[in-house]
Amino acid sequence: MAQSSTQAPAPLGAAHKAAVVHRLRRAHRNPDAAHKHPINQAHYTDATLGERLADRVAAIIGSWPFIIGQSVLMVLWVYLNVWAIFIKHWDPYPFILLNLVLSFQATYAGPIVLLAGNRQSQKDRITLEHAADESDKGEQHITKILIEIKKNTELTLQILQELEAEPV
Amino acid sequence: MASEKSVPTARQRVARQHKHPVNQLFHDEATVGERVADQAASGIGSWWFLAIQSVIIAVWIAINSVEFFTHKWDIYPFILLNLAFTIQAAFTGPVLLLSGNRQAQKDRLRLEHTAEVAEAAEKATLQILEEIERNTEATLKVLEHLKKRRDAKGAVQA
Repeated sequence: MAQSSTQAPAPLGAAHKAAVVHRLRRAHRNPDAAHKHPINQAHYTDATLGERLADRVAAIIGSWPFIIGQSVLMVLWVYLNVWAIFIKHWDPYPFILLNLVLSFQATYAGPIVLLAGNRQSQKDRITLEHAADESDKGEQHITKILIEIKKNTELTLQILQELEAEPV
Repeated sequence: MASEKSVPTARQRVARQHKHPVNQLFHDEATVGERVADQAASGIGSWWFLAIQSVIIAVWIAINSVEFFTHKWDIYPFILLNLAFTIQAAFTGPVLLLSGNRQAQKDRLRLEHTAEVAEAAEKATLQILEEIERNTEATLKVLEHLKKRRDAKGAVQA
């Protein structure tokens, strides 16, 4: 008759977890990696030209080379306008032109921060939509399982009736 | 009164190994630059920073406007203070983006992890369904067997 199945169910043990971490580590720090999650695919792989540009600009301004480079330029500017003897001081103390240049930078940085923030909130929105779809799918599976268990219980009850009807 | 099994707070967690693989990759394996970025963002975005900045501004304006102080370096309308503000803003923007990029990176990583987990869960669910279906088949066979036996007994008695 039906053979008894003693084989263990597919384990989600240490090996599986290690494989997952390995795949995640490959995707870490690389927005150009092949993504598994559909929202990551939509957000990065299928990004429009404007969106890619927004990501690039945010990645460049929000990086240590930019911050360090800006600091070096600032110090150089002040040095050239205070101590340098081989060059005309074009912006003497209190550095009004430097102020303008930095204000200019801050004026653009603000909107770019919002640009990046908007892109993240857009991603958050479609992530939730996808979660709702997935939740529907999960519910369908559970309903199927429930129907199957009910069927099984019906059969077991019929067997009980058969057995009870037998003369002891 | 806290029980021994009490859940560690976020602050206590920082010093420990994280449990979630995304936190492990993101926090425990962060590079020096990433750690400094996190520190900078949490330093600037704190009440301490705002309070100290306010005190410095107040002292600056006081020294440069109140007659009692003799050494003045930035008299009204405080052009150098303006430059200081601008420098702060010029650094805050990039640090904000730095921190935002890092959060976006974590978000991306978290979704990838979710996809992995969802895949495993769906596989498990389908296995459960399959197993129950097998069980139903077996139960059905038992029922058929019993019915057959009853019919055979009835035939013998008749």
